[in-house]
Amino acid sequence: MTTKMFGQPIRRTEDPRLVTGNGRYLDDLGHDALEVAFVRSPHAHARLTDIDVTGALDVEGLVAIYTHEDLEAEDIAGMAEPLPMLIPHPTLTHGRTQCALARTEVNYVGEAIAMVVATDRYIAEDAAERISVVYELLPAVVGVEAARAAEHLVHDDVPGNVAARMVQQTGDADAAVDGAPHSLGLDLAIERSASMPMEGKGVLAKWDSDDSSLLVHTSTQTSTSVRQAIAAKLGLPVDRVEVVTPDVGGGFGVKIMHPWPEEVLVPWAAIRLGRPVKWTEDRREHFVSSAHERGQLHQVRVGYDDEGHLLGLSVRFWHDNGAYTPYGLIVPIITSTQLLGPYKPGVYRVEFASLYTNTVIVTPYRGAGRPQGCFVMERVMDAIAADLGLDRTLVRERNFIQPGEMPYEQGLVFQDGRQLTYDSGDFPASLAKLKTLVGWDDFPAFREQAQAEGRTVGIGLACYVEGTGVGPYEGGHIRVENDGTVVVSTGLTSQGQGHQTMLAQIVADELGMPMDRIRVTTGDTRRFKYAVGTFASRTAVMSGSAMALTARKVREKALRIAADALEASVDDLEIVDGQVRIKGAPASRIDMGTVAVLSNPLRYAFDEAARRATQFAPAADPTKPPVAAGDAPGLEATDFYSPTQSTFANGMHAVVVEIDRDTCDIKILRYCVVHDCGTIINPMIVEGQIHGGVAQGVGGALYERMEYAEDGQLLNASFMDFLMPYASEVPTVEIDHLQTPSPLNPLGVKGAGEAGVIPGSAAIASAIEDALGLTIRRMPISPSELFHLRLTSAESAGPVETLRKVRS
Amino acid sequence: MKISGTSQLSADREAVWRALNDPAVLVRAIPGCSRLESIGDDAYKMTVAAGVGAIKGVYDGEVRLHDQQEPGSFRMHAQGAGAPGTIGAGVLVTLEAVAEGGTELTYDADATVGGMIGGVGQRMLTGVSKKMAAEFFGNVDALLSGSGLVGVPDEGSAPGGAVYTAPAAAPPSHPTGFVMGVAVGAVAALAGALVGGWLSRRRT
Repeated sequence: MTTKMFGQPIRRTEDPRLVTGNGRYLDDLGHDALEVAFVRSPHAHARLTDIDVTGALDVEGLVAIYTHEDLEAEDIAGMAEPLPMLIPHPTLTHGRTQCALARTEVNYVGEAIAMVVATDRYIAEDAAERISVVYELLPAVVGVEAARAAEHLVHDDVPGNVAARMVQQTGDADAAVDGAPHSLGLDLAIERSASMPMEGKGVLAKWDSDDSSLLVHTSTQTSTSVRQAIAAKLGLPVDRVEVVTPDVGGGFGVKIMHPWPEEVLVPWAAIRLGRPVKWTEDRREHFVSSAHERGQLHQVRVGYDDEGHLLGLSVRFWHDNGAYTPYGLIVPIITSTQLLGPYKPGVYRVEFASLYTNTVIVTPYRGAGRPQGCFVMERVMDAIAADLGLDRTLVRERNFIQPGEMPYEQGLVFQDGRQLTYDSGDFPASLAKLKTLVGWDDFPAFREQAQAEGRTVGIGLACYVEGTGVGPYEGGHIRVENDGTVVVSTGLTSQGQGHQTMLAQIVADELGMPMDRIRVTTGDTRRFKYAVGTFASRTAVMSGSAMALTARKVREKALRIAADALEASVDDLEIVDGQVRIKGAPASRIDMGTVAVLSNPLRYAFDEAARRATQFAPAADPTKPPVAAGDAPGLEATDFYSPTQSTFANGMHAVVVEIDRDTCDIKILRYCVVHDCGTIINPMIVEGQIHGGVAQGVGGALYERMEYAEDGQLLNASFMDFLMPYASEVPTVEIDHLQTPSPLNPLGVKGAGEAGVIPGSAAIASAIEDALGLTIRRMPISPSELFHLRLTSAESAGPVETLRKVRS
Repeated sequence: MKISGTSQLSADREAVWRALNDPAVLVRAIPGCSRLESIGDDAYKMTVAAGVGAIKGVYDGEVRLHDQQEPGSFRMHAQGAGAPGTIGAGVLVTLEAVAEGGTELTYDADATVGGMIGGVGQRMLTGVSKKMAAEFFGNVDALLSGSGLVGVPDEGSAPGGAVYTAPAAAPPSHPTGFVMGVAVGAVAALAGALVGGWLSRRRT
């Protein structure tokens, strides 16, 4: 009997290769390639008045230097023009994108100005240093406040620095707030951060002049779309371009943005030079020329009744989108919709402005706008609890959407252009699990005991709902080879999440094949050309579902062919351990490799197995065409999964912190997660995703921020100065699962990749508030900031006392 | 980035003013300065080698002086660029006579440091620049009280201005800065600039 793979904590099949140093990342490839370095702007805002390359020309090993002039001179329509506006939106009235190399103006420190190609990176860097650029400095706009003030403009033709304004509402929220028995106003802020994958970006391009084809390897989250973008930008027929994603050392969203300037420049140079060309991003480049996220200011007005039920919620926020808007409004749209979490907000109105600043562009980073939204909503919940003197879990409970109300329409349009309709979830059950897991009701006793020991502790929680598995589609291709190997491909990419394992588990169960016969390829356009990409926690939902559907087609065909061979009815067959056999008569069987052989009628016997499929073999029925009408040779199938909407995962985190009474050092004593991603394919992988997410959530709450000076210089652009949590700062994560299957897909799964990061800042802020009896309105928070907050809060001891009474 | 500090010099205010306006003194006193060139009234070009930690390089910059209130104060604007990054600075320098003799010099700078050094070296810049400034003023003081070296314009000066170079022999700076490779900042360019600024007027 084949063991069921789905739902099992199968060890990741990719790990032996990766942990023994046999991964192949971008920089492991292309040893013979020319290498690239860029001259990048040291100024946040400047006009380019002159670029003088003469000083670099005598550097031995220099191959080429390109500036925007060269892009213009080339007879390729698109290269000199700005990069694509990837996700247009009607409210994005002033969308702007950058040119691959700056034309006349630079708008952030790090924007590429000149590209240097040399025999190796060292020489390329040396030559780049000798290129002299003359700048006419312009005033820099840095931070949301400066962007709003609009004393200076990032783009001359964008009034007020406003890229977009967008409003969604379910009614007159302000009237609802005004008419409510209680109301509160809160100003809330989250600072800018970035995802910081271990491996930065990188591109390797090879031009084959013999057949005029381009092969590009790039460290991306979407090889299919990079392929389309390169073909469009370089004016190549799409079928002459293939894009392969090698092993990728983390993406976290920054690599779903595309095409990066380097992704079109490196192939362009490879074609011009007729030689392989490679660029590997270094850490400083990643800091100043990739993408950041999270920076938003929010103003909230909320009205509620005596029991804490929300009656009206009115939110305005300002999103810092950096210098350009290639990824559209995805992040603020997600904040504005997912802010609602598991709650019924009463009447809701949200308005945001997306603002230009002279800083690195902002595109989704794991969580993608949700950590901000969750922070806002959960601060509101805690503020209501404090105001009414209610337990924080009770206020949440009273506002939960109930399981019986699913599917629940929030009355808004989500980031995929579809209605924001929650498909599943049991929020009261999740909260009950969390309270048990963390021991919520016993915490007062723990606090008392800690206080007796001279320690200050606090507990906090936060809840979120996350739209995952965004469309439009993903697909799968499965072929069973003559030796019984199952070759599986999906177009979306993998950045280390364990996709090969998870997809193989699905195929193994659907096809009745052992795991070790299944080989999964992701992100290679030579193998699968139709895909969207890996983002929005969508792989299990989208490719997983597509793979199940595809495997079912293959299974159906295998059973049909085997039924002929075994002279049995399809209904009497089962596939176990790679053998199709008659139920109850396991000796009558045929292995899947043989079925594959029989699926492909042959004239020529190229090996022993093939003899069975040739025209004089017993299997051939001379009365029928070898390949029936509507059938095709080969034991293979392709299928796609395309849902009507996203599926909504959810979860709740509870945190216990201890605050050092002297230094305000913040220590996480416990971190508990209740997680509902529907049916779980591989609990080990899901828990690994949660661990990683929590680590980034802790980073976002306590450590990570982008310190931009007023003049637009990023002051902490190195791992010496940009703090990230190490293993020593990441708490042990205690996890409990609730599985409410999604009704939307054949597997009942919901996404799990981003979840862990979302409630980090909200939950930790809640716990710190609880420990010290003060109010936190912006995150991240450092010990010294907390120290000063405690000092200033002490001056208004009244409310602190009230809060303390409620909590103890 | 705002940097300010004070330095006590033993010479009187007029002597300090003269020294700070003598390119021959300056080229010797500015840490890492190898070349100064007059490019017009109160304007100079200079070359300074500086580094923070591993990020070292040669900066070419220009300095312009303005608002000179001899012998009390002046302002200067400096702009420089090198492989490791760029620097722009505005500096106010004031000289005050001290009752018991000597001069108290105060500098107040607002600098923008860009490029690699801005992002990677930032943490150390304030410390480095203060150290460089102290070194510079120490050098000026040593020159005033000691050897009394006088710079001589190079032969083959660039058109439009005299060129001053540091003597081949080590200048009387204390050796730690460059030898240990720690001290100098992009703000070297700044301190340099600050210095460089002065150069001007007195040179005939």
